[in-house]
Amino acid sequence: MIFRSIRWRLQLWHGFILLAVLVGFGFTAYRLQYANELHRVDQELQQRLGPVLEGLRRPLPGERGGPGGPGGPEGPRGGPNGAGGPRRPGDPRPIDGAPDDRGRRGPPPREAGGGFPAPREFRLGPNRAGLFEGEINPFYYVVWLRDGSELSRSASAASDVSRPDFIRRPVPTVRMRGTTRELYQFTPPGECILVGRSIGPELASLRRLALVLSALGCIVLVLGLAGGWWLATRAIRPIGDISAAAATIAGGNLSHRINTENTDDELGELAAVLNSTFARLEGAFARQQQFTADASHELRTPIAVILSQTQATLARERNPLEYRETLEACQRAAQRMRRLTESLLALARLDAGQESLKRERIDLSQTVRESLELLRPLAEDRHIRIHSELATTECLGDSERLAQVISNLLSNAILHNTSDGEVRVVTRSENDSALLVVADKGPGIPAEDLPRIFERFYRADKSRTGATGGTGLGLAICKAIVAAHGGSIDVSCPVSGGTIFTVRLPSGVR
Amino acid sequence: MRILIIEDEPDLLRSLTMALRDEGYAVDTAANGEDGLFSAESIAYDVILLDVMLPKLDGWGVLQRLRKTRKTPVLMLTARDTSRDRVRGLDTGADDYLVKPFDLPELLARLRALIRRTSGQTTTRIEIGEVALDTAARSVTRAGALVELTAREYGLLEYLMLHRGQVVTRTALYEHLFDEDDSTLSNLLDVHVSNMRKKLGHDFITTRRGHGYCIEG
Repeated sequence: MIFRSIRWRLQLWHGFILLAVLVGFGFTAYRLQYANELHRVDQELQQRLGPVLEGLRRPLPGERGGPGGPGGPEGPRGGPNGAGGPRRPGDPRPIDGAPDDRGRRGPPPREAGGGFPAPREFRLGPNRAGLFEGEINPFYYVVWLRDGSELSRSASAASDVSRPDFIRRPVPTVRMRGTTRELYQFTPPGECILVGRSIGPELASLRRLALVLSALGCIVLVLGLAGGWWLATRAIRPIGDISAAAATIAGGNLSHRINTENTDDELGELAAVLNSTFARLEGAFARQQQFTADASHELRTPIAVILSQTQATLARERNPLEYRETLEACQRAAQRMRRLTESLLALARLDAGQESLKRERIDLSQTVRESLELLRPLAEDRHIRIHSELATTECLGDSERLAQVISNLLSNAILHNTSDGEVRVVTRSENDSALLVVADKGPGIPAEDLPRIFERFYRADKSRTGATGGTGLGLAICKAIVAAHGGSIDVSCPVSGGTIFTVRLPSGVR
Repeated sequence: MRILIIEDEPDLLRSLTMALRDEGYAVDTAANGEDGLFSAESIAYDVILLDVMLPKLDGWGVLQRLRKTRKTPVLMLTARDTSRDRVRGLDTGADDYLVKPFDLPELLARLRALIRRTSGQTTTRIEIGEVALDTAARSVTRAGALVELTAREYGLLEYLMLHRGQVVTRTALYEHLFDEDDSTLSNLLDVHVSNMRKKLGHDFITTRRGHGYCIEG
């Protein structure tokens, strides 16, 4: 459930990435520091390996000490008589430099043992003794002879220091033994010297470093998560607003809108888009409500007529003329309701797309001629002259439905005309469309009503006068039929007066 | 009682006129808002029946302008039945509101109620001395016995009894009892009054010479 929330998912990813970065960084830092420490220790050991190597030399005749006392410290102390000697230039006993070679060519070992090279003497240079001495000096050394016996060892060396396995290459080699770091080297004759020290303090400080790094990492992680939560909350908040607004609208308050202040980002754009959608929904809803109210109004008026007529007439005895008048009024009301219900049904079918239109090739001028024939009595009644310019105009459509449009427009033109006026009707082909023009010389339509003239129940004359017998749906039906044909219907009122309806239908000629 | 009907639907206008005249009201009609407003402003009607959807000037407009000069009770008629429309009608100054289609008996009862309320009455029965008048049944009794009156006589008596204790001028009586179609002869009132005195007692209606008539409460 929680992982469906964008905020939680963001937070989870954010935390995961942050953790990976922190762990990577901390681990690298720790490893670097670890390597640095070891490198430093190794260098210190290296610095001490040289002097110990120097201390390994062939014993000279007459010299004492060294080998007799295996304890290393005696070596340096036992040899102050030769102090400073080994390195002095011109010294007749070249000890340092290449003691090995000298050892080989020199006099035979004092205590020879079964064909082994004579054991060497080990004496640490006098000014090097400090390298392994002192209370807190962690360094120690051990020197083994080729046969594995110990030649010398510093006092600080632990007893469990064992000779490493022999390797042929005479290079310093490092080994770790518990918490001690040891550097050893085999001389070509086979002696092994080893210096070492405990790196316990270094390891302890590295542990402290690890702790500090972990603690810092945790703090950064917590801060990062908190910041991420804040950012995610901030980023998500408009979504919450949007969803709250949408819920309010779904609850029926269609006029509610999402607050788009201070949001110029993507979510702001989304909110704006949603707001315009809501506005259109509200408009459609309002139009639907208006339509229902209008339809009920239009149906109620004739019912009111019938009810009041019959009730008033039946209240007492009337003469035949009064009864006749009442019946005629009821008939007019019933016919009005019939026209209205027929129109409403036609519109509903057109809206639902149930009205299956025939698509046949017809001559529009022929349909107009037929409609004119039917309307001629009405025109003569009102002394309206009809001018027709009917060129053969082919189009694809349903002649019955189009006849409905034509007779509707023509009867409007006849009824909303000046007496002794004229109506002009034109059909012609233009480009790829069939054109029908119906123009009258009537009073025209006020400019403010023009855009709404095709709306259902909209009347330029605000009263619903039954005088013309209109339902207020005629033009809406015309528009719906023309639209179903894929055409368009327009109205214009030229300054010179009158009203011009123009219908364009696809001619179907490619 | 004189009533003005402003209604543009001719068949509805005809039936309403017929029904109200049958009830003894003097009825004037107007088929559009402008004519209706003109009549309503020039004559003191007892009630105006006003349709909302009217040519030239709609019902709201008529009501709004009429309320600047007159307090005539107005009953609005409309096919719009949303509560918003009703609220708007009553707030604009209508005294009652009836949605089409309506029942004529209900409309007549509401008209009677409006007239009664305007004159300060609360019930349909008005009693003065031994004469009792029931506006719902349109009947008059004297000491319990039914008195036969013509519609015109009834109208005259009802108007005077609703304005009991006041001196009603002849002009006011003419204005409220006769509509535009009646030929108003100047002595018609005197004939009616003398007929009623015969039926209800000579002292029931007193004449204030130079002023008008009065029924003492």
